[in-house]
Amino acid sequence: MDEYPAGSLDHTIPFLLALGVSASSTFDSALSPALKEQASLIRSSLPTLETDQAHALLDYIQDRDASQLPCNGRESERRYRFRVRTAERSFLLPPRRARIPDGIETPPFPPVLHSPFSPLSPVSSLYPDGLIDAQWTRKHQELIPSVLLCFYTLATDPSLATLCDNQIKTDVNNIRGLLSQSGYKTRLAVVLLSDRVAPSVDGIQERLDNIRKGCGIDSKTFFLVPPNDSREDLERMAENMLVTLHSVAIEYYRDMGRHSRKKRGRGVAPQPTVPPTSGTSQTLSLAGWNVRYDYKSAMFAEYRLDMDNALRSFEQAYENLLSSELMEVIPSWSPRWNEARMLADVIAVRCLRCLLWNSQYSAASRRWQFHRERIADLVERRGRGTSNYGWEAWEARWATVVANLIEKADITDFAPSTFKLYLQPEKSAMGERLQPWELLHHTGYWYRLASRHLYARRSYAHAMPEDDRRPPSFSPASRVAGKAFTYDTYMCPDPHEEYPIMGQPGVDHSQLIVDCLIRARSEFRKRNQIRLAAELSLECARELALIQDWPNIVELLRPLWLGMSFRTEGWLTIAEELCWALRTAAAMAGEADLVLAIDWELLNQSFTRRSKWHYDITRSLEGMTPKTKPSIHVRDDKILSFISASFLFKDEEGKAGQSIQGQLAIKSNAHQGSAPIVFNSLEVEVEGSVRSVILRHQEDGEVAEQKQGGAIITAVTLTEATDDSSEAEDEADRKAILQGTAPLSLLPGQTLVFAVEIPLREPGETNAMSLKLKLQTESFDLQHSLTFQGGANANRLWYFPTSTPKRISRTNPLSVRVLPRPPKMEISHPTFMDQYYTDEPIYLEFKILNKEDLDAPAKLDAILLGDEAPPFTLEIDGRESQDSSTVGSDESRLLAVPLGAIASSKSLTVRLHFLPIDRANNYDLTVRVVYHLATNPGTPITQTAILQLNIVNPFEANYDLLPRVHPDPWPSFFDYEGVQQAAADDDGNSSSNDAPPAAALSPPKGLTQTWRLVTRYASFASEDLRVLDVDIRLQASQTVRCFSTRLARQFPPGTGQIIKPKTMEEAAFDIVAQKSTLDDRSVAALDVALVIKWARLGSDDDDMVINTTALPVPRYSLFGIEPRVLASVAHISASQQHLVELKVTIENASNHFLTFGLSMEPSDEFAFSGPKQTTVNVLPVSRREVTWRLLPFLINSSDTGGDDDDDSGSDRSGGDKGKGEGG
Amino acid sequence: MATAIPSIACLGVIGRNNNPLHISIFPSYDSSTNSFAPVRTPLQFSLLLSSTLDVFELRARHNAASGVGLSGDFGLLHAVDERLAAYGFETNTGAKFVVVVDMRGRRIDHGAAALAAESGGSSREREKRLNAAAVGLREGEMKPVFKAIQTAYIKLLQNPFFDPDEHSPPAGRGGKKITGKKFADDMRRIGENWTPGVTNL
Repeated sequence: MDEYPAGSLDHTIPFLLALGVSASSTFDSALSPALKEQASLIRSSLPTLETDQAHALLDYIQDRDASQLPCNGRESERRYRFRVRTAERSFLLPPRRARIPDGIETPPFPPVLHSPFSPLSPVSSLYPDGLIDAQWTRKHQELIPSVLLCFYTLATDPSLATLCDNQIKTDVNNIRGLLSQSGYKTRLAVVLLSDRVAPSVDGIQERLDNIRKGCGIDSKTFFLVPPNDSREDLERMAENMLVTLHSVAIEYYRDMGRHSRKKRGRGVAPQPTVPPTSGTSQTLSLAGWNVRYDYKSAMFAEYRLDMDNALRSFEQAYENLLSSELMEVIPSWSPRWNEARMLADVIAVRCLRCLLWNSQYSAASRRWQFHRERIADLVERRGRGTSNYGWEAWEARWATVVANLIEKADITDFAPSTFKLYLQPEKSAMGERLQPWELLHHTGYWYRLASRHLYARRSYAHAMPEDDRRPPSFSPASRVAGKAFTYDTYMCPDPHEEYPIMGQPGVDHSQLIVDCLIRARSEFRKRNQIRLAAELSLECARELALIQDWPNIVELLRPLWLGMSFRTEGWLTIAEELCWALRTAAAMAGEADLVLAIDWELLNQSFTRRSKWHYDITRSLEGMTPKTKPSIHVRDDKILSFISASFLFKDEEGKAGQSIQGQLAIKSNAHQGSAPIVFNSLEVEVEGSVRSVILRHQEDGEVAEQKQGGAIITAVTLTEATDDSSEAEDEADRKAILQGTAPLSLLPGQTLVFAVEIPLREPGETNAMSLKLKLQTESFDLQHSLTFQGGANANRLWYFPTSTPKRISRTNPLSVRVLPRPPKMEISHPTFMDQYYTDEPIYLEFKILNKEDLDAPAKLDAILLGDEAPPFTLEIDGRESQDSSTVGSDESRLLAVPLGAIASSKSLTVRLHFLPIDRANNYDLTVRVVYHLATNPGTPITQTAILQLNIVNPFEANYDLLPRVHPDPWPSFFDYEGVQQAAADDDGNSSSNDAPPAAALSPPKGLTQTWRLVTRYASFASEDLRVLDVDIRLQASQTVRCFSTRLARQFPPGTGQIIKPKTMEEAAFDIVAQKSTLDDRSVAALDVALVIKWARLGSDDDDMVINTTALPVPRYSLFGIEPRVLASVAHISASQQHLVELKVTIENASNHFLTFGLSMEPSDEFAFSGPKQTTVNVLPVSRREVTWRLLPFLINSSDTGGDDDDDSGSDRSGGDKGKGEGG
Repeated sequence: MATAIPSIACLGVIGRNNNPLHISIFPSYDSSTNSFAPVRTPLQFSLLLSSTLDVFELRARHNAASGVGLSGDFGLLHAVDERLAAYGFETNTGAKFVVVVDMRGRRIDHGAAALAAESGGSSREREKRLNAAAVGLREGEMKPVFKAIQTAYIKLLQNPFFDPDEHSPPAGRGGKKITGKKFADDMRRIGENWTPGVTNL
């Protein structure tokens, strides 16, 4: 839009001029010297205002200047628009009437003078037949204010008041007079700023009225600003003032518009001041005058923001201008032709603005197209045609104009955040057959369109013959004349400037195009149209290549090349174009890295082959002299790699310590005929056991090489090397590198397969990760890294030397699962038994045997798990011992006990020692040996033995406690001496050692009872045990003295008795208990434990370990208060063999006198002598006996064995029914 | 007087990974030489088709935000200048069809132009414009084209030897182009037979 004359396309806004306040920038009408001379000066004689308040007010008004506002009707809250200028004291108005220039013959009658901007005045450039030009537009926009706003101070000092008022009145009237003299109808407005708070409002009001009337000013345009108002008040006041003034200004422009229409209505073409004498002597026709009037009224409507009317008038002017009466009759060689074209453009632009203002976007686009076609048609028919650079230049300009208008209009829907590319048609245009371009697109598209026309312009310019491009002074006149008819130079330079002959600076087409493209690109980028932006960058680069601006191309294309979507999405033709463009530029700009990387990528066969290109990476840098040797690193996801690589493990699983076969396949997809690529080395990165596998190039190595199906299979022997560069501190962290050599020369289309054996070290996953190809030449280093693809479409062929490749169908052939190395250390436990018994000390012996080929430093863990796991002691080879620690209640353990290095095929004995355990339980014992081989310290190997330690009770027993008659008489309750005596006797007869010592000191004198404890114990062991002794341990209450007598036979000392598993043995003990005093009648408790001393078989007498197991017997209670009735049988004599004496003893330990009734039932089986029925009275604390003699009738053979001491009885009933209760 | 009417300049089928599957280019009438020639080079058409992907992405984002646009017809994607405009359609499997229309690709004599412009406004100016320039396009005028392309594409998918995953790998980039001759023939037929107002292809 800048190429049009200044101001011709600007949106017109009412012009407000402020007068009377000193301002930093003052209004300068910038009149031409000729006009200045005749200009009328408007000046105020009063001094300028310098107060802060006046400045604040003026600043606010200036702030509201609307000349930079977007041109749309959206900002409705803005109730006025002003273009604000300030003048201090005076300003110039252009002359209303132009003088007749000197040298022109004055006509006889007094001349009618016209405005200097009118085609009627000879001074005007339009004279005599021009239409209208930008001067007129500028006149109203910049020279003639619609409102003149005068600032004055209102003095409140009464002494000065009258003087001041009069001064104001005089000044205003003076200005008014000057204005009317100038002939302009500028409205006058006055602002009074009072200097101080007025003493009385009434007085002020009176004064104001006085001044107003004195000046003849309308009350609407007369303002008083009270002093000391706050800023907000001032602004509000200014706002109101501007709104009022706006309506005044609108009125002014309405008058002007009315005036234009009135003149049009007259229907006659005015006569110029002086009839033209030069040129064609043609004056402006009536049609031309109508265009002028329509244009003026449209402009005044635009001032009023009456866009509908403005549009109508503009369209009318446009139609008339292009009608057969006007444009059609102007000869194309005349300067008026171009002026008329420009006027048509200006009107069209203003129409477009009106349409955009009214949000008629599709109509605007259509109007744009319409104007273009109208002009094209006109130029074709009447002008110089559309096939020349001038037309294309205009086309480009015409597209740019719309872009600028759209920018100015600031359309909300085009904000980048909406991501709208074009606007929907307005309602009136919906449903019509719209051209897609009629949906208004954003400015990026318009700039791009402009760039296309600029291309065309250049190609037309370049097609000009050389003769036409000579400067006019160098070419024959006929040629110059011919040129004028061939080339359209409307708003563009002549051919010799457009595209001069070599050496002359001309139009920089490339720069124009690049500017356009860059502007378009930024718009596309704002809206995320990255691909389109990339396309424009590419176009830009092509342009820059023409002007050989290589560094800028690199800067432009490098980011695209790095991350372009064309490559990843498979738009290879585009990617290729970009690569070549960048490559050329990079080569010229000396970007060796870039050249290398692009050449590397371009080797890919997917790109089309350029026939004259060498396709040899080693020649890539020919002609370049990089300062340093370039070293680049290419990643396969960044470029379209022509090398594809895959890695396969043959098996899914492997074991640590063994090795696994793998194949690395590298396929080249380079252009056929391109130079073979000889890599220096390639490195497979493996995650897991080994760090990497490196293959180095060796041209003629002694390696097996076989060809199969287009693939060359090479078996590579790998040797291990330590990586010195690694900074791993721990030796175990350092991983080995495997190295090998192979021929690494890759021909186009060839597949190289390397078969390697990779030793596996650590258990877990081992993955092949990536491949690094290194190419080092004298001029550059290149490293290409590829990540192996494990997906479904990865190459999964396993090559065989002799047969066709086989597809490996595992899910992930890049990975191998490494199982732990099988340990060769053995843990044996030859003496471990299924069962161990309570109460015996347990020794567990383990033998750790190293079956590895090498010495193995080992460590031992022993862990015992179970309920209340007992502590243990560890003894290694009988030397050192360590105690276990207890973790919680369930675990006792000993961890990482160093065993030292165990030599190969040597063993070590480890013993665990447990103290006797008193409870039967099951424990889990884990013995673990962790070792590593001296050759491979990074790989720990573990051998574990898990044993179940069962602790069981070796014996179980049951018990019977039977009453017996104590032979000694009871002490008499009434015989003090006797009691003493009996007790003394008892003491002497005692055979028990268990008598409590306290009782021995004071001999007991209480009752004595005899019991018999019969125990039956069984062995629960799983093997024969040797029982050495069985005894009981008595524990009676303090008041009782007890001792026991073993009845059964003693075991043979030393050897004991061997008890088989699950057999029962019996042992009986007599227990005699005596109360310490006769008076004690309470029940006494008796705790008995059966103590078995035993040993395992098989041990010699010398080191026999005797274990003692105590089996607790349920608690018994003695000395109940109830009487005991005991029966005993005895054979009387040897002669009377069958005669039996039955004695019933009744013991009454209570303090009561008891009577018992006894009766003997007669029977068929025996005869008896004695009372058949009797009553026995038993005194307290005494006992009585009743005796029968029995003679059995039937002699059983089994009974014949005289059981002379066999007695039986119970404490409650005898063999007879002798039973009674004391009464 | 002859009138320029729209014709198809290029048909593009773009895969799920934004990869080009098929591009057909059709010649347009060139009034200056009175012959038929493509208006752009294949590279330019490639660039043009790839630039529509920007618009597809913008629309997809916009549609996802506003919850519309389930039909798959994206309508006018953008017009690159006053001649060429791109229309788009996206299937629910992510394949995209792009029709590039040359608004002045064919020429018909005056009578037919009047017929084509029957629905246009009656104002003098409009008629003049229509005669001078081209016939516009109504919304939805591309539907038969998309329908036909979709039918052809479905036929292609029904071919048991056609592996869609090979052409648009589910988790990858790029993909092979469509090489089927029948599909290419279908596309050619669609591109050559379409004119404004055609309802069945």
